[in-house]
Amino acid sequence: MNKKIGFTCAYTPVPLIEAAGFSPFRVFPESKAPDLSGNLLHDNLCPHVKKVLDRAIAGDLPDLEGMVFINSCDSMRRLSDAWHEARPDDKIIFLDLPSGINSLSLDFLSKEYKRLTETLFKWNNKTCSSKEMTARVNNRIDTWNLLAALVKKSSGKMSKAYTKGHASLIQEIINTAATKSVDKALLMAQNKIDPQGDARQGAAPVFLFGNLLFDPKVYDLFEEWNINVTGNDFCTSSRFITPVDKNACDNIFKSIAASYLNNTSCARTMDTSKPGSIAMNIVQQAKETNAKGVIGFTLKFCDPYLARIPMIRKALQKESIPFLMLEGDCTMGCMGQQQTRIEAFAEMLEV
Amino acid sequence: MMYEHFDNIVKGITEKLNHDPDGINARKKYVLAISKLGKKLYSRDENIAWCGVTAPFDLLSAMGVTSCFVEFVGAMLSSTDTAGFFLEKAEDAGFATDSCAYHRAVMGAVLENAMPEPDFIIGTSSPCTAGLAIVENFAHQYKKDFFILNVPQNYTKDAVKYLATQLEEMTRFVSDHTKRPLSKQRLSFALENFNTSTSLLKEIYDLARTKPSPVDNKFLKDFGTVVALLMGTKQGIDICRAFKDELARRIKKGLHHASKEKIRLMWIQNRIQYPFPINEMLDDLGAKIVVDELNNVTWEPMDPDNPFESIAKRMISIPFSMGTAERIRQMQNLAKAYRIDGAINPCHWGCRQGTGARGLISKGLKDINVPVLNLEIDCVDSRNLAKGQIETRVEAFIEMLS
Ligand code: SF4
Ligand code: SF4
Repeated sequence: MNKKIGFTCAYTPVPLIEAAGFSPFRVFPESKAPDLSGNLLHDNLCPHVKKVLDRAIAGDLPDLEGMVFINSCDSMRRLSDAWHEARPDDKIIFLDLPSGINSLSLDFLSKEYKRLTETLFKWNNKTCSSKEMTARVNNRIDTWNLLAALVKKSSGKMSKAYTKGHASLIQEIINTAATKSVDKALLMAQNKIDPQGDARQGAAPVFLFGNLLFDPKVYDLFEEWNINVTGNDFCTSSRFITPVDKNACDNIFKSIAASYLNNTSCARTMDTSKPGSIAMNIVQQAKETNAKGVIGFTLKFCDPYLARIPMIRKALQKESIPFLMLEGDCTMGCMGQQQTRIEAFAEMLEV
Repeated sequence: MMYEHFDNIVKGITEKLNHDPDGINARKKYVLAISKLGKKLYSRDENIAWCGVTAPFDLLSAMGVTSCFVEFVGAMLSSTDTAGFFLEKAEDAGFATDSCAYHRAVMGAVLENAMPEPDFIIGTSSPCTAGLAIVENFAHQYKKDFFILNVPQNYTKDAVKYLATQLEEMTRFVSDHTKRPLSKQRLSFALENFNTSTSLLKEIYDLARTKPSPVDNKFLKDFGTVVALLMGTKQGIDICRAFKDELARRIKKGLHHASKEKIRLMWIQNRIQYPFPINEMLDDLGAKIVVDELNNVTWEPMDPDNPFESIAKRMISIPFSMGTAERIRQMQNLAKAYRIDGAINPCHWGCRQGTGARGLISKGLKDINVPVLNLEIDCVDSRNLAKGQIETRVEAFIEMLS
């Protein structure tokens, strides 16, 4: 069995981990580990970072050969700092992710991705020519792209006719790619990505967005509460499965960087020529998926997202799209607490 | 409102200055210079840019742009006890109450049209993602062009080159808006001024290290962060010189309050901005803040022949740009150089960047036997201030150090 490489951010290209002969392991903030992260950091950090650190402190992790951190936000930077303290023997690589999207950022990020690949190959004692390394990367990208295409195609169907269990199944496949292997996820997708059954009638079509919503069971809850998920935009869903346009640039690392930077951007990466474009993207996605309302779910203390909520709210208001904003941690329990509000929202949409 | 505030300060200090040129201390001169900058920002006679904290203000001023970091306004509103109103406005508009109040206050001011509209906006990814998010909100609200300087965290050759190239691109962006090209000569002057100010800063900090220290608890409050707005100008040099001279004079005349220095302290990150008598309280307890974490020179001299690379290196060298390990290393060096007995970390609520590292900082300083008092204070928003509790904890800490 391949050794595992841990990571936490959707800007970590899984094909690079697999090309070096490792298995990916996205460390989700899901754990019964005691709440100790505040001792190393502070309690005012997002539950994503805190829970992941709790897992590191408690050793609630599989054997990891190393960790990949990305400079996605201040909290993530602090997590990488604390990881050194909590697990001093771990190999760690920290990548700088530009905030703006332009040719300079693209060039810089491509170098960061190349550095990541070389480091991973070194960690796995793989000595090979750069040609061979590129070939392996290309190979893993092909599989990744097959998976991305299937996920995209299947997700697209949710906006037309929603079938019970569809959203949670897609999430399960995505989680498999994040925590086991892309091959396994692809196999799952090829076998059962479109659930059987009739389209659900009468539920409110809602588009979801935010940072982390990774537990497939959450989508079952939404169904119970009379919501049909028409599409979603989370770091743990569509933004994670980023297809790579191998021909976007003249070298593979640039193509990867271009694909990741140009994918629907999250709250920490922005198109400077259109300040506030995150709000427009959400409006557009809601419309494209025929949603009647939008639910935003953001973790407490998440600066990048929370600071953009007012402009998202305004943009949705302008288009008369009802919006429900939820804030909490990533647990099912937290979702449970929101039941009344979600049900009332679904009712208000009057389907 | 802010214009009047700055104008009143300028008028008041200028009057005193005309009356008694020698009766004005360095801190007053500094307040005067900063208030003049504030007036300029609010009178809008020149090109104005709202920026992130680590923006290259020397380069911008060489290009004829009056620029300032947005958090400065948050601090000003707090110091004049008017932040509460603007914080509420921002919160009403949906800005999270758990966010950094420097940003929430200034965002409230934007929403209430209490801020001068800029010509353009320059965001910096250092010190914090929260700051970048707020300036994107500025750009969105004002519908102004927006430029981001990505400050990499890893201090590598590639990182320096990347930032230097962005700085060059920024000058083109600025020129496009001001219709004035960058004058190499003006930039050279600015960098020379910057270097002169840097040498003076080093002297100031050397003098502050003296035991007993010639500073008092307020003398160098937030100095390093704010003086960056003036570095690169003649005024910046004058201010630094005034501070240096005053410290030298205090040492010469023995005006260093030795009796009030039983305990030497380091203050971590920013000070409390609203009126709160912590300085007086420390005075009474015989404790003195001899060093602030951000009063430090972390950069090499600027090379006028290689301006962008020099500025890039400087921006990355700032403690908040790099990882916490480097920040702690710099703090440990300060702790040793200033021979401090303890440190106070206000743990500004809402700051993931600085406060987020609370536990690691405590441990890093404990490793060199420096105890840290971690408070839970919002340095800008005084609405939930637990005054009595803080006083008790400070008292107990100083007692413990004694
Ligand atoms: S949830 Fe927000 S604050 Fe937390 S790691 Fe992600 S972007 Fe950062
Ligand atoms: S206090 Fe922290 S969050 Fe606020 S501006 Fe400073 S670094 Fe950013």
